[in-house]
Formats: sequence, C-alpha cells, structure tokens
Amino acid sequence: MKRAVLTGCALLTALVLAMLPNFAPAAGRVTVGIQLEPPILDPTASPASAISEALYGNLFQGLVQFAADGSVLPQLAASWDVSADGLTYTFHLRPGVRFHDGRPFDASAAKFSLGRALAADSVNPQKARLGAVRDIDAVDEHTLKISLSRRSGGLLQSLAWGSFVMVSPESAGSNAGHPVGTGPFRFSEWRRGDSLTLVRNPDYWGTPAALDQATFKFIADPGAAYAALMAGDVDAFGNYPAPESFAQFAADPRFAVFVGTTEGETILSLNNRRPPLNNLLVRRAIAHALDRRAIIDGAMFGYGTPIGSHFPPRSPAYVDLTNEYPHDVAAAKGLLAQAGYPEGFAVSLKLPPPSYARRSGEIIAAQLAEVGIHAAIENLEWAQWLDQVFARHDFDMSVVMHAEPMDYDIYARDDYYFGYSNADFKALIASLEDTVDAAQRSRLLQRVQRKIAADAVNGFLFQYPELSVWNAHLQALRFDNLLGVIDLTQARYTEAAAAAQTLAAAAKPQSFRSVGWLAAVAVLVLMIAAARRFGVVFLGGRLTVLIGSLIAATAIVFLIVQVLPGDPVRYMMGLQADPGAMSALRHQLGLDVAPLGRYARWAFGLLHGDFGMSYTYRIPVARLIADRLQVSLPLAIYALLLSTAVAFPLGLIAAARRGRAGDWALTGIMQIGLALPNFWLGLLLVLLFAVTLHWVSAGGFPGWSAGVWPAVRALTLPAIALAAPQAAILARVLRGALIETLHEDYIRTARAKGAGEWQVLWRHALPNALVAALTILGMQFSFLLAGGVIIENVFFLPGLGRLVFQAIVQRDLIVVQSVVVILVMAAVLVTFAVDLSYVLVNPRLRVALEA
Amino acid sequence: MTDLPRRGVGFAVGAALTCGFIAMAIVAQFWTPYDPGILDIVDKLHAPDRHHWFGTDQLGRDVLSMIMAGARKSVGVALLSVAIGVSVGVPAGLVAAARGGAADEIIMRGNDVIFAFPSLLLAILITAVFGPGAVIAVIAIGIFNIPVFARVTRGGALGLWTRDYTLAARVAGKGWALISAEHILPNLLGLLLVQGTIQFSLGVLAEASLAYVGLGAQPPTPSWGRMLNDAQTLTALSPSLALYPGCAVLLFVLGLNLLGDGLRSRWNR
Repeated sequence: MKRAVLTGCALLTALVLAMLPNFAPAAGRVTVGIQLEPPILDPTASPASAISEALYGNLFQGLVQFAADGSVLPQLAASWDVSADGLTYTFHLRPGVRFHDGRPFDASAAKFSLGRALAADSVNPQKARLGAVRDIDAVDEHTLKISLSRRSGGLLQSLAWGSFVMVSPESAGSNAGHPVGTGPFRFSEWRRGDSLTLVRNPDYWGTPAALDQATFKFIADPGAAYAALMAGDVDAFGNYPAPESFAQFAADPRFAVFVGTTEGETILSLNNRRPPLNNLLVRRAIAHALDRRAIIDGAMFGYGTPIGSHFPPRSPAYVDLTNEYPHDVAAAKGLLAQAGYPEGFAVSLKLPPPSYARRSGEIIAAQLAEVGIHAAIENLEWAQWLDQVFARHDFDMSVVMHAEPMDYDIYARDDYYFGYSNADFKALIASLEDTVDAAQRSRLLQRVQRKIAADAVNGFLFQYPELSVWNAHLQALRFDNLLGVIDLTQARYTEAAAAAQTLAAAAKPQSFRSVGWLAAVAVLVLMIAAARRFGVVFLGGRLTVLIGSLIAATAIVFLIVQVLPGDPVRYMMGLQADPGAMSALRHQLGLDVAPLGRYARWAFGLLHGDFGMSYTYRIPVARLIADRLQVSLPLAIYALLLSTAVAFPLGLIAAARRGRAGDWALTGIMQIGLALPNFWLGLLLVLLFAVTLHWVSAGGFPGWSAGVWPAVRALTLPAIALAAPQAAILARVLRGALIETLHEDYIRTARAKGAGEWQVLWRHALPNALVAALTILGMQFSFLLAGGVIIENVFFLPGLGRLVFQAIVQRDLIVVQSVVVILVMAAVLVTFAVDLSYVLVNPRLRVALEA
Repeated sequence: MTDLPRRGVGFAVGAALTCGFIAMAIVAQFWTPYDPGILDIVDKLHAPDRHHWFGTDQLGRDVLSMIMAGARKSVGVALLSVAIGVSVGVPAGLVAAARGGAADEIIMRGNDVIFAFPSLLLAILITAVFGPGAVIAVIAIGIFNIPVFARVTRGGALGLWTRDYTLAARVAGKGWALISAEHILPNLLGLLLVQGTIQFSLGVLAEASLAYVGLGAQPPTPSWGRMLNDAQTLTALSPSLALYPGCAVLLFVLGLNLLGDGLRSRWNR
C-alpha cells in the first residue's frame, strides 16, 4: 500500500515537471491563427476566402494586385497598355520569374492560367467575371494580349482576384493539395484540420521573405482563439473572431493590434419578393428602426463602421448615406401605418453561424420589436443557410456579411437571393461596365450607391472590421488589404531569438498499422479461446448478431445522412458560383447517381477499407480518418487509463472505509465528478493551467512526429477533462460492487480465517467486482471515442470528433457516414469483446456454460 | 449500520436541490427579476450588485433571470426526454419480458443498435437534418432513453414473471397484456422512478452539452449551455459569467443524483 502511494506521488511529480514549458520559439518562424480552414489550396477552384487569406500574395500571385484603396497595381505584369477602344489589353510581363516547381513564368504560362480558368468545364467560381474575354494571345515570351468582345471596365479589378492567380502548366492539376505559385513562400505541409505550413522560397524574383517558415493554424472558436493567443500557441491572429476580448489585447504591452476595415458589408438582407417587404415604405420603416450604433456596440463591441449603402467606406468613390434613414422609431411607425401595417407584422430572421450574425440578429430583433415588427430568430448552419436563404429564397430577413470586393453588381442580378429587380439600376451597371475612365466610373459608382439606398433594398448595418492581433516582437505583418489576405511577405521578428533555428522535419505521420495488427491478433486469440471455452455454436450465434448489428448500423447511418437537406456542391461553391461549374462538380463527385446505388457502392467499399473520397478535402476519407485517429484513439486510451488509475484507488479506499469519514468525503468527490459537465471542466482547466499559469499550451496537437512527450503533454488536459466524469462513474460502480461482494459467504470465511481488511478486499472481493468494472470499461471506451467531440472543440484537437462535426457543417456526406460508421462499429465490437471476456473472467459463468 | 445516517443526509440534500431547481423553473414560468430577453447594451458586463445579483452578460441581460429561465429549458427538455423514454421503452420492455422469443430478440437487438450509436453524434446529425432547437434536443436525447428503460423494465419484469401472484393470474386465464398492466407494472414503479431520476440528470447534462455546441434552445430563449459558450470568450472581462451556469448544471445534476441514490437505497431495503 505504502509503495503504491509513493510510486503514485513520484509519477505525479514527474508528470508535473515534464509539463513545464521549455524553449522559446525560434526566430524566423511564425504561427498565425485563422478562423476558417481552406477546403482545398487552389484559389482558382473554390471561392472559399480562407484560401486567399493564407496563400494570396504569399504563395500565389496574379498579373496585377489591389492597392489598399482599391486601385490596381502591377504584380507579375510589370505594366500594361489599353487600346483606345478599350477592347485590347496588352500586358508586359516581368522577366526572371520562376514557379516553385522550377518552370519559368512567361506568357504561355499566363495564357494557360487564364485559359484554364475560362474553360467550359472549369470549376473556377469567378469565370463569369471575365465573360467579355474573347481571345488570349501569347505574343512573345513576355507579352500577353487579351482581346475582349465588349468593353469591360472591371477587367483589371477582376484579374487581381485570387481566382485568377498564375499557375504552372506542369503542376496546376495538383494545386488543390500541393499548391505551386510564384510567391516568396513555398508550400511545405498541410495537416488537415490542424494547420498549413509554408517555407521561404529562396529563388524568389523580388525581395525575399524575412521569415523562414509560416504556419497557419485553424481556430474558429472565439474562446479557443483567445486562449491560443494568450498561451502563446499562435504568434498572430488575422481576422480575430472575438471582438469582446480585443480591447484586452490592445491594452496588453505583449501584443500589438490593428483595427482596420474590410470589403465585408454586413447587411440585414430583406426578401424583396415577399410581402410585406416588397413594399418600399416597409423597407424604409425598417431602415429607420435600426440603430446602427447599438448594433455595432453590442455585436462587435464598438468595432465596425456604419454604412448606409452597399459600398466600402475606404473606397475613394464612397458617399456617406448613413443619414438617409436616421434611427427614428416614430418615423418608422408612421411609415408602417402608411403602408397599411399599423399593428406591425411577423417575419422570420434566419441567421448563419458566425457570431457577428447571431449577435446582430438578437439586437435587431429587439429593435424591430420596438416598432411592432416581430422577427422570429432561426439559427442555421451554413449549409442550411445556403439552401434555404441563398438557393431557395425561403426567408424573410437574414444577417450576413458580403465579403467579395466591389460586389455591388449583385443588385443587378434578378436571381440573387434578396430579389431586387430594377431596370434603372441595371442600366447603371451596364454603363459602368462600359466605362473605363476613372473619374466617370467614380461618378457612376456614387449613383449606384444612392440608388441602392433610396430603394432601401436591404438594411445596411456596418462595414466589417479587420481585427488583428500579434505578438509585439513581430513587425510588418500586413492585414489591411481588399482581399482579407494575411500578408507575410515582409514580416520579421525584431530580435533574433537565442534558440537555434531549426526547421521541423516534415516527417510522415506514424501509421497505426502496427497497433491495428496487434489488436487484430488479440481479437483472434480471444475468439479462439472463446470458441474453445463455449463451443463454436455459441460463438457463431454471437457473431451473426454482431454482423447483423453492423449491417443495420450502416444502413441507418446512410439513411439519416441521405436525408440531410442541403447540397454539398452549393455549399462548397459559395455565394457567387455559376450553375455550369456546379453541375461539373456534381458529376465529378458522383452525386448524380441514385441513392441505392451510392449505398451499395459505399457499403462494398467499406468491406475492403475504401471509404470513398471526401467532398471538401478531395483526398481519400480513409487517410483523413487515419490522420484523425492518431489523436482520438490515444486520447481515448489516455482518458481511459487516467480514469481507471483514479477510479480504482478511489473505489477501493471508499469501500475499505465505508461508512466512515473517508468514504463520505470520497463519495462526495465522486458525486461532484459525476455531475460536472466535462466541457466546463475543460474550460476551467485551460483557464488555470494554460492561460494563467502557462504550464501547458491551451490546446492544439503538435503531431507524433514532434516527439512522444510533447504529444502526450498536449493530450493531458483534454484527457483529464474527459476522464473526470468517467472516473467518478467507475469509482462508484467499483465501490458498490466491492461492498456487495463483501456480504458474500466466502468473505466471511476468509475473515474467520484471519485475513486482514485489505487482504480481503484485494484478494477476494476485487476479482469478483472486476466483472462489473469490465462492463463499464467497455462502454466507457466507446463513449470516450465519440464523446470527445466537445472536448476536441474546446482544445482544438484535430481528432475524429472535430472531423465529423466540421464535416456535418460542410455537408461532406461521405466523411460523416464513414466516421459515424467507424465509431458505431468500434462500439459494437468493444461490446462484443467485453461480452466474451466477461464470460471468461467470471468463473461461475464459465462453469455454467461448460455444464 | 453506519451507512444509514449518511444516506439520509445525501437524500435530504438531493431532494432539497432538486426541488429547489424545479421550483425555480416553475417560478420562472411566471416571474423573473428582469425579463431575460431585454437587451440593455449600455449596462453590459456589470459585476454583481444590488440591482443585478449575478451581474449582467455581454448584451446587458440580467444573469440571475437567465439562470432561472434556463432552468425551465433544462427541466423541460430533460422531463420530456424521460417521458419519451418511458412511453416507448417501458411497453417495449414489458412486451419483451412477457412474450419472450422472437419479440424479445427483436426488441433487444433494436436496443443494442441504438446503444451502439454515439449519442452526441446522432443528436448532432438529427439537429443538422431538422435544424437546431429545444424540440429536436428533446427527441435526440429521448431516443437514447428508450433502450435504457426497455432494458430496465425487461429485467425487472422478468423477475416478476416468476412470482406466485403472476403465476396465479396466468392460471386464472389472464392475458399477458393485462397481467403486465395490472400486476407487473405497478411493482416496477419504484425501479422506474429511480431510473427516471438518473435519466433525468443525464438529460440535464446532455441538454447543457447540446446547448453548448449550439444545438439546443435557440436565442433569445436562455439556456445554461449556451450561456457557458458565450462566457468562454469573456472570461477575462467577466469570469463570473462562466461560473453561474456551470454551477447551476453541477448543482442540479448533483441534486438529482443524490435523490436517485437515496430513492434507490430506500427501495432496496
């Protein structure tokens, strides 16, 4: 007993010592947090802004780029000429530029890039923007000529977008997973669900980057983002998602902040097709009911610029229309009465997931209620929002941020989701397309803004702020740009770190093949022993039940998942996709086959380990699952070990001291452990050990390639949070089982023979109590595997739970099916194994069967 | 036995806590210190003071009122989910015990299939299909109560089928359904009450978890889990915001567990 306690204390001390932080981050390496993970790494094949956020300018470059004020600057095209009739653009390309794969950049590569984007079967989401292009000519090695079929005033702006970056003809096909560009950084590694790493390009044509390596970590949860910055897991955060804690960083000398603006107009979109919102007076009343200042203060904690129309304030052509409809409840009520709704009316207010939308929505609902409009809030996932609001126009009001730069032309599209259709406005847009002269364009843009405001098409709230935080040791990170890009091209540290500069070797993740084989062997041994013990018939019966359960499970999962509303293609292609690209993708992913055929194909694939191809990540699902299993499986085992290590002594001591103070105290602790929500415990643990004491990092997973000890350290807090309630359950069960067996006859005999209390417990009671404990352990393991969903989100661990949660949000059907099926199969198999071992362990049952 | 006085204390504490929270939920139906839906941005993030005993949250809402209103959701969702489990699970268990054979096999296998599903994942799936909300949370949690009650009922009923009075009733010619209803079920009530309390406490925990990831009651309806999520980013500005809802869940579940344990030990005597 004493020895056990001493060893336990020694282990605990060792654990604590090992958890203390060791070295400072090496200079030249930076970790940047970003909210959303790019689904793929090719900005020409997906509209997700996260791709450009990380890669535009750093890895990929276009012919031209945006200046901060929206004007167009040279990039890979050093200069250009426009013909007098505006139909021919001649670009003079920069010489001496190479792609990361070694191929030189020249006019043929540029022609290839643009041709690929505009091809009939291309999935480029913005190809409609270059609809005026008739011909692309590589005149000579460094001259590119683009001929148009009609004038296009927005051509240069469109070429600056991420969708039209230059790609190498040799490697363009694999850009989705292995991007190749011309920028100062090269692609190094993409750990899905976790991070994206770039390294410096030594052959860059311009000023080389000062940083050696840049890693983007994906952290969407505002709480986790806050913890990651505070704990030093990330050195910077672009587009920081938690404005409520932003002021804290501004006041902290450890950090530097940037408050800027973006191209994101946050609006209260109104369905102009539906009564009563099709009535101009009603829409104006709504505009008067809105108090923009209160919305900005409440939802964005004061960050954000009020807007009166759909145009960014920092553009030179901006005109301030916020006083077109000042906040005036009486005026709003008057307009409503005039429109025929003196008592107001009821509408739905459908909100997408981001916190700016949810919070703004709550405040707007309260403001509208003041004038008699009852807005019923419905919180939707992105896929549901895209399906109901964007695709089917089944909504009354919504709150969303339109992030694309210069996207006022959506008001000229009849089929756009808010349904504004006005001939005068369309004429304005047509003449804008026709105008190339800057001053004339500016005048037309002002008329565009006034028209949108006059017709009160939507409620215009605020321009979304750019809130960025970074470690004060970093310099020259640039966040202020039109495309929301995190520009690392000139970033550097102010002082060189003392630690040696070593780049982490991109080692292959250790496969769990060996563990898998071991488990398979163990199961085989178990089955052979079972067959010998209680006959092939019994075993065969159980096996049939097992297989039947597995089949039923796969069928149910497939059924539920197929019923999920929402279209993965629509979600992936975003707000501005065109139908041709969508059906191309749909066919590419095999979504146009009937459900039964899909099920059969999938089920058959399961049998030989082929789980299909993920929609969003475009790699085999089996690889995704294998990657994530590296986190979830060890976490579950770790939590199981912890809970057992805590529960056994607790249960034993409580049983030994039953009825006395010790038992009472321990039972009290067990009760609290049972009642504790594990995510709350996780939160408290992070706040104490990571944010306040800095003993461990706030979360994240360095990968097994970084060493066993760092990986285990990262899993410690999550395992504790997961294990606590399980330990409480196990301890209680053990205590109960032990106390029960203590009433048995053989215990009385042992005591009569002179055995001490501990001997009785350890040698006689425990083996019998183990039976009850075993059943619970089996159940706990499958619960731990699946219950990690929440814990993985609190600590941002790239595990199975997080994978399936993200997959559901992203409508990645195949991943959802496969992960749920794997978890279900694991649960069924573990139950099966526990049932068998249960019989093996309990001598009485063994005898009964043999009889 | 030295166990007795301690058991009494546990039962008393549990009963007090449970009744306290249920009373809070009932009172909140009619009155709270402030309307939890009223936003008062000017007053946001107040520390606890005379006017707001627990302070205000980031949108100026009174935290005490939100806790009270959140109790309504917790009690409501957990209660309804237990009701689902009982209304489907108990008859299933009775049928399985009474009929045996194929019916028993089917019901038990069905139980196994539902048990094998990771409950939270299924809840997330269901809410993704039908949209988040309290009703969906009820259904998702309730589905997992069904096999629990079926199993417990079946186990208890099987024992009772061998009793003398049951045999007598069979000899007298009563059908199995009538026997189940008139003789078996009333004697199972104690067992069901205990199990119901346990499932109730699990339901409160589950509702908090679902609400924490955003799949429970939607705003502006207050809910403890969602309060915890909101509080996560505000811990530096106002740490108490994370404490009150977490303690509320803890105390309520603790009370229910103690009550269940106390009831069980009383019944087993």
